[in-house]
Amino acid sequence: MDFNLENFKESLLSGIEYLPNTLKLVFVPLLIGLFLGTVVALVRVYRVPIIDKLLAVFVTVYQGVPIVVALMIYNLIFMLKFNDIAKALHIPKTVTNVDNIWVGIFALTLTAVCSISEVIRGALLSIDKGQDEAGYSVGLTKVQTIRRIILPQMVPVAIPMLINNVVGLIKASSVVMAIGIIEIVAGSIIPSSRTYSFFEGYVAAAVIYWVFTIIIEYLADVLRKHTGRFRRNLYD
Amino acid sequence: MDKLFEWERFFDNIPKMVPYLSVTFSIAIYASIVGVILGILIAVIRMKKIPVLHQFFQVYVSFMRGTPMLVQLMLIYYGLPVFIDHAFGTNINREWSTVIFAYITFILNQGAFLSAIFYSAITSIPYGQTEAGLSVGLTEFQTFRRIILPQMVRVALPPYGSDLVGLFQNSSLVFLIGVTDIMGRAKTIGTVTKHVIEAYVFVAIIFVIISLMIRLLFYYLNKKLDYGRGRRALILKEL
Repeated sequence: MDFNLENFKESLLSGIEYLPNTLKLVFVPLLIGLFLGTVVALVRVYRVPIIDKLLAVFVTVYQGVPIVVALMIYNLIFMLKFNDIAKALHIPKTVTNVDNIWVGIFALTLTAVCSISEVIRGALLSIDKGQDEAGYSVGLTKVQTIRRIILPQMVPVAIPMLINNVVGLIKASSVVMAIGIIEIVAGSIIPSSRTYSFFEGYVAAAVIYWVFTIIIEYLADVLRKHTGRFRRNLYD
Repeated sequence: MDKLFEWERFFDNIPKMVPYLSVTFSIAIYASIVGVILGILIAVIRMKKIPVLHQFFQVYVSFMRGTPMLVQLMLIYYGLPVFIDHAFGTNINREWSTVIFAYITFILNQGAFLSAIFYSAITSIPYGQTEAGLSVGLTEFQTFRRIILPQMVRVALPPYGSDLVGLFQNSSLVFLIGVTDIMGRAKTIGTVTKHVIEAYVFVAIIFVIISLMIRLLFYYLNKKLDYGRGRRALILKEL
């Protein structure tokens, strides 16, 4: 088969040019997700009345919605209703001068919050109840116990699963091309539509993603070894 | 512009969309059945460390896990016709319907993911058990069937459940290569009637129901297989 290297190179460069957009689509949701996800997980594990039930229902239901569908719905609402909402909130902006990458970030953020909260909840539940009681018995407040005893122990348990989540987010971020945001995939097929070399374009996109995830997994391994160093028992 | 969301249009859409669910289900079923076979094959090759194939499938699994489903779908959709055209001189673009490309992609993808699940499930069982089986005179296959497999299923079940949920969600991507599944149908309804949000909301509800049913099913399966495991099983379930 004829694989045009020239077109491939062009697509690769064009795809890399749009890497910052993908980074934005991955790391903004990730940071917000880590923060809100931990809050949601703590609320659910420590059974804050009413809110925990609401969050449990929301997380379970929302995890069932495919991200493309959610994205399409948000994009539609954004296109049709943004002007009204902006007017109601007295924001001097219309839909034409807001980049729709924010719709993508919003959709990915909600997904990230849900999946990260599940990971952190699992990690929190793996920590023995005795740790809470020990903290309480030496006179720490609840917040102190969580901050000084529970969270540091939770991190190494959560990290392997979190990495899966980050890789999942990177992959999910490709879906935003469906609403016309230009990221790696859409970027690498920009030259393809001129030269009609779509296969080369998508191979270029695949290569960029592959390298990206391999780097993330390598970094994750380093991080895992670093955070797990206090947990290593004598038999290791 | 009239109202954004109307229940009347929502209920009108339902009979138009439900038949297309079969496309989504057929993708999921093909991908599950053939994917499990492929996954077992790859897991066996990785366990036995068969040279060349072992390395090949390592790269293959890494590729499938490291690239988005969307890109894989597009690669098969654009790449396979070119490849087959050169190898056999037939133009499959004209002869095959687009849904076949979706089947192939999902089978290849599931094979990779399931092989990883099976592999880690097999390796989670201490090797001493295999040795014990062999030492009492069981053949290798008997050891696997009677000792490893029953224990392995318990470990593999929870990740398989979440994989299945993910498979259904990913199958909603096939509308991007022009397969009319339930999502593609929602889009065509949108172009005809200019009101697409009701259709999208219906799609979302359908997928939520599917995912809840799968979770419920696997919750009960887990519970059934949970005998005599105590705390460890509890943790696995929570994860």
